Amino acid sequence: MISLIINGKEIDLDTPMSVLDAARQAGIKIPTLCHHEVLKPYGGCRLCVVEVERMPKLQNACQLMAADGMVITTESEEISEVRRSILEFLLINHPLDCPYCDKAGECELQDLVNMYGPTVGRYKEEKRKVPGSHKDVILARNMERCVVCTRCVRMCRDIQGASAISMVGRGNRTKMAPFSAESFNCEYCGNCLTVCPVGAILSRLYMHSFRPWQIDEEVDTICSYCGVGCSLSVQMRDDSIKRVVPKIGAGLNRGLLCARGRFGYEYMASSDRLTVPLVKNNGKHEESTWSEAIHIVAERLAEIKSRDGGSAIGGIASARCSNEDNYIFQKFIRMACGSNNIDSLSRIGFAAAQKYFEDLLGQGITANIIDGLKNSEVIFVLGGDPTAINPVLGLSIREAAMNGSKIFTLGYARGLDRFTALQIDVPVFKEADLLEELVVSVFTAKGVRGEKLDVDNGIRIISEKLSGYYDVNGFNEMKNSLLGSSSVSIVFGPDLVQRTDGHRSIFAVAGLTYLLEARLYLLSERPNEQGLIDMGCVPDMLPGGRPVDIHDFRSKFDLLWNGTVPAEDGLTLLEMMESMKRNEIKALYIMGDNPVFNLPDRPLVTEALEALDFLVVQDLYLSETAEMADVVFPATGWTETSGTYTNLERRIQLQKKAVHVTAGMDDWKIISDLSCKMGYHMSYSDAEDIMNEIAEVSPLYRDLSYREISRGNCLWPYHGEPLRGKINELPSIAESEDTYEADFYLAPDKPLFHSGTLSRMSPSLNRISPEPALKMSDEAADKLGLGEGDRVTFSTSLGSGEARVSIDYAIRDNKVLFSNNFRDNGVYGLLNYKMDRITKAPGIEGCEVSIKKMQEH
Amino acid sequence: MLNETALQEIQELKIRYPERESALLPALYIAQREFGWLSNEALLHVANVLNLPEAKVRGTASFYSMFKDKPAGRNIVQLCTNISCMIAGSDGLVNFLQTRYGMKPDETTPDGRFSLILMECIGACGTAPAMLVNTDFHENLTEQNIGEILETYK
Amino acid sequence: METVLLKNIDNPKSADIDEYLKAGGYRGLSKAVTLEPADIIEEVSKSGLKGRGGAGFPTAMKWRFAATDPKFPKYLICNADEGEPGTFKDRPILEKNPHLLLEGMAISAIALGSEQGYIYLRGEYPDARDILEASIRQANDRGYLGDDILGKGLTFNIHVHQGAGAYICGEETALIESIEGKRGQPRSKPPFPVNQGAWEMPTIVNNVETLANIPYIIEIGGDAYSGIGSEDCPGPKLFCVSGSVNRPGVYELPMGTSLREIIHDHAGGIKNGRTLKAVIPGGLSTPVLPAESIDCRMDFISMQGVGSMLGSGAVIVMDDSICMVSVTYRAMKFFEHESCGKCVPCREGTDWLRKVLERVENGKGREGDVDLLLYISGTMTGRTFCPLGDGAAGVVQAMIKHFRTEFEEHISEKKCTYKSIN
Ligand SMILES: Cc1cc2nc3c(=O)[nH]c(=O)nc-3n(C[C@H](O)[C@H](O)[C@H](O)COP(=O)(O)O)c2cc1C
Ligand code: SF4
Ligand code: FES
Repeated sequence: MISLIINGKEIDLDTPMSVLDAARQAGIKIPTLCHHEVLKPYGGCRLCVVEVERMPKLQNACQLMAADGMVITTESEEISEVRRSILEFLLINHPLDCPYCDKAGECELQDLVNMYGPTVGRYKEEKRKVPGSHKDVILARNMERCVVCTRCVRMCRDIQGASAISMVGRGNRTKMAPFSAESFNCEYCGNCLTVCPVGAILSRLYMHSFRPWQIDEEVDTICSYCGVGCSLSVQMRDDSIKRVVPKIGAGLNRGLLCARGRFGYEYMASSDRLTVPLVKNNGKHEESTWSEAIHIVAERLAEIKSRDGGSAIGGIASARCSNEDNYIFQKFIRMACGSNNIDSLSRIGFAAAQKYFEDLLGQGITANIIDGLKNSEVIFVLGGDPTAINPVLGLSIREAAMNGSKIFTLGYARGLDRFTALQIDVPVFKEADLLEELVVSVFTAKGVRGEKLDVDNGIRIISEKLSGYYDVNGFNEMKNSLLGSSSVSIVFGPDLVQRTDGHRSIFAVAGLTYLLEARLYLLSERPNEQGLIDMGCVPDMLPGGRPVDIHDFRSKFDLLWNGTVPAEDGLTLLEMMESMKRNEIKALYIMGDNPVFNLPDRPLVTEALEALDFLVVQDLYLSETAEMADVVFPATGWTETSGTYTNLERRIQLQKKAVHVTAGMDDWKIISDLSCKMGYHMSYSDAEDIMNEIAEVSPLYRDLSYREISRGNCLWPYHGEPLRGKINELPSIAESEDTYEADFYLAPDKPLFHSGTLSRMSPSLNRISPEPALKMSDEAADKLGLGEGDRVTFSTSLGSGEARVSIDYAIRDNKVLFSNNFRDNGVYGLLNYKMDRITKAPGIEGCEVSIKKMQEH
Repeated sequence: MLNETALQEIQELKIRYPERESALLPALYIAQREFGWLSNEALLHVANVLNLPEAKVRGTASFYSMFKDKPAGRNIVQLCTNISCMIAGSDGLVNFLQTRYGMKPDETTPDGRFSLILMECIGACGTAPAMLVNTDFHENLTEQNIGEILETYK
Repeated sequence: METVLLKNIDNPKSADIDEYLKAGGYRGLSKAVTLEPADIIEEVSKSGLKGRGGAGFPTAMKWRFAATDPKFPKYLICNADEGEPGTFKDRPILEKNPHLLLEGMAISAIALGSEQGYIYLRGEYPDARDILEASIRQANDRGYLGDDILGKGLTFNIHVHQGAGAYICGEETALIESIEGKRGQPRSKPPFPVNQGAWEMPTIVNNVETLANIPYIIEIGGDAYSGIGSEDCPGPKLFCVSGSVNRPGVYELPMGTSLREIIHDHAGGIKNGRTLKAVIPGGLSTPVLPAESIDCRMDFISMQGVGSMLGSGAVIVMDDSICMVSVTYRAMKFFEHESCGKCVPCREGTDWLRKVLERVENGKGREGDVDLLLYISGTMTGRTFCPLGDGAAGVVQAMIKHFRTEFEEHISEKKCTYKSIN
């Protein structure tokens, strides 16, 4: 233990730290400018000087390690004098444009000058001219205001790992610049904004639109975009959101945000929002009233239920909605409509993988803390780019790499390009072969573990069919690293789920997880994919992961819910589509999703929806799907309603209402009103009321209250045995010996700047990324005679799209990638699929695409 | 584009150091040799060959005064003006170069023949004033001999 | 005294390995390969050698820190950045006696257990680069460097790494950043390079001249060496004399030779029959001394005693025609240009000082400017991240201390009274 005295106060430290940190811990403030708590000490500003007994000169507290017996004074006449003169030095070249600068009021330099007093202006010369730049779409640079603390650059390099900006020049000619000197062309995390102490980097989103002291309300909530669920604060003036800021040190993101989280908040205020219920009359939507619309829906659903039975009704829940919304939704479909046909679009990725992993390894297998990634020696990333799908999780991987962990990637992961020890290349769509070889060779080296006999047996079955020799570059290196490490993490993304034999990859990864005692992370594109499963928005499980087909559980819920839970497992998402086509499911209720655009094979989905007798959609906008609906309800969204979300690590967090709602109704409220109308009574005063019920019925959320959740750190890793009976299906070796010999294949791209179709309503994200791009390797571009930015049309057997070409060096095969974010120009609709027979996810691999250059006019 | 030899040289540089980033300064020298100066294009090439972030490459390059961020003439005249050379009359030489050859500090003559750079000490104080023309040292300069020396550079 | 560092350099082929061998080269290395690393360090310790790069840190102590650090690999870096204005002492070793340096590096590498060395050579020495690279090839071919030194199974390879015009990269931690491909800004110490230097590994940075002393120490033994020159910092020392003297140049003399002897006996006295006005004794960053002080001995301790520093031993001599304000102004232009920009006092202070000096020099000075200069430099002193900023402040303070009236005259007369300089 280290004991020291600061300003007469005795301080005991358990861990070594700087004098600055020791003082701060004890509540003693030492002024700093170049230091920032998320960054390493730099020692540039010299403001943190303190007196240390028996040391001749003043010392910098930020760099001086606290030592036993030190006696320190942090304020004295001499110290103030030094600080005052340092500030004077800083001001000689600093413009005095505070009245005009957005930072005024929260400027660290301004505050310090206030504290240590202004100095007589002894400086008579001209101030330095430093060109700034206002050409970037998001970030304005005012380099005359820069105090060269380099916090932005260190943040960008050491924490974000992007190194998109650098200090340029030397001495007093130093300034911060992105490579192009104008546009930042970066990841737009905006974390540089967080750390800039002065007005040198400012956001254009709110330029000159308010002063920091005019913020009249600040609500701490979470981001609505992905399955990480970063904490952030929404700052408001007059009931309108002025900006989103992170809270340093708070939440799992500890003050970091990505572009979507920080700049993507404007969608809520979009003028495209639905405001009143719409009812279709003679093929055209007409405005209606709430009571009329609810009446119509209740009547039609009841009619179909009594005519064709509950199983003629299906429900699609949403990973964008809260636990409370989803809980009410499934309760409604099960109890009011009498159907277990409940699923969500999560089935095409997260939910499918999640179920099979849990079947194999037990519940809770993916409940691992994101922060733990940085302590892994080896991280194996496959099936997606974490830095785009779950950006803040991606940062933990980068952090691990910067601290010396080895990162292996299989497949495209551009954001990890400079952080990987090795990128494994396999022939296109043959990842499962490699993974089976890998799990078998690890099994051979490690032997039977004997805890999960099904998995041991499964691997043995696979091994009988393999050659035992695998010739892929880097295979052995990766195998040996995995075997040699005691802390392996596996990060698994959706790409490998969306395969006809996706279960093979999942099984192999499960095997690796089990044999290596690895931590498994499932990337999650939307904020509540895990919560939706927990809430029972799956056809075979009730809330808390209780299997529908087990009588005891059902009867427990019968009692709790005061009715009869349908006994048979329902249909999964794609099965529902098939069933609708066959005219078996006749009515579909969709809460907050857009299957027409977000599912593969748009012609098939359209045909299925057209075959319905009745379609209801609840949404924020008139989506492609809502356009087809008989009734459309306007819902509320992020910042307009409260509710809890369960992130990919199974952290349950509260999303809080911040603004006054002018249109739309909470999802749960619409549904409970409807349910009452249909004769199944539901009555909740608010979302908290619903959570109280969830806490009662779900073993996973037992005793959970909003109070507890608000305190943070509500993590529920639950290491029970599988609750769903035995797994009956083990993977078999490659069923189809498909060969892939086309020139190019189309595959989905998961971009950083967009997420689903919400982000397209956010002007700022659209400014960063205004149109979709067809990404391809430089080799592919050469072969097609295309250059960066060329316009092309591309088509598959299902249709065609248009885009500009973007050459991406991280693509190393003949796939071309296209995103699914821009209206009527998305990838999924163009992909045909075959369903994986075990996971029920769509296999969208092997979709041939032809690409033609367009004439520019 | 960097030609094959240059690329090869850079590849060889990489193995001299435990980390590829360390090859940056020598690689920038090679790029400057090939392109004449470090244009955006040149910096991008170096960034790609070494797989380093572009902004970092610019940040490093811009710190060092011998890496040029604008095109230079055929011959680079680097005249020392630090104390010892100043005592020996380098300021006079600067004036002389301007009146006689139209050479101005940090500028290139209109015919593209010379760029003049005023240097900090170049380690020739014992034989001051001194200059480097391209990579050749010329010492004990006077208004007489500096003209003769420059005549040999076309 | 026999010359050690400049031995043989009048021989036009002195850089060639055969000439070097003929003159007794690589005898120190041949002896070193038979010694234990600790014994080599012990010899250097006995010699009392102090670093010649400016700070005068005991070489053996630095080596011992690095040698006892358990981390591997270890790196040896020769600091050949020689950027201190007025300094041109390392250049003759690099260009004319390169094998002496290589031999010195090889011996230290054995002492440290290092297998990889770099010579950080300033970009302004293109000839030296070619010469060093050729010499390294020769030494490799002859087995003095490479993977099996003198058949003893020892490995040591050297690469030349060229700087690119940044004075601060002579500072050892900035030098390391620069070798790592970064902007050359100093790192904080601790951790010291001997424990966590290049690529986070134990690293020794030694000046060219320091390393060039090693073969001789090993050859004649530390005790014998310690008898040369000053008692507390013995050995031969290179003094490079420039400015208003008749015979500027590099002189190898025993440490502790007096400034008077250096200027008058060796460098031939003041040029053009003028009188001595001031001396900057150890390179531009060291405080100026007035003519009265030249009886002091040139070694680390004596120079401190007269309020200056030995620095790099670069003696810049100024006669009575030279304007001290213009020298100070020129010096400040240098510091401003070379300030790395990391810390506020240096970055802003050098800028401000230069601007004030500029107006004083140009006859536009204002009353109070001398005090302003003292205020600015006082604020910088002891507050900057590395010694560059301190040095800049010290130069102004010493100039004003010894030549205040000259500054005041510039202000009151509104012109420079010494235009004869150009
Ligand atoms: C601003 C600054 C510039 C320096 N420049 C040089 C230099 O050019 N050459 C050198 O050998 N040491 C230089 N040094 C000293 C080095 O930091 C370091 O002390 C030296 O290389 C150690 O070698 P030595 O122990 O052999 O003297 C400089 C130090 C500072 C603070
Ligand atoms: S990582 Fe996900 S949760 Fe965090 S800010 Fe980005 S989109 Fe939002
Ligand atoms: S905070 Fe310590 S020097 Fe800036």
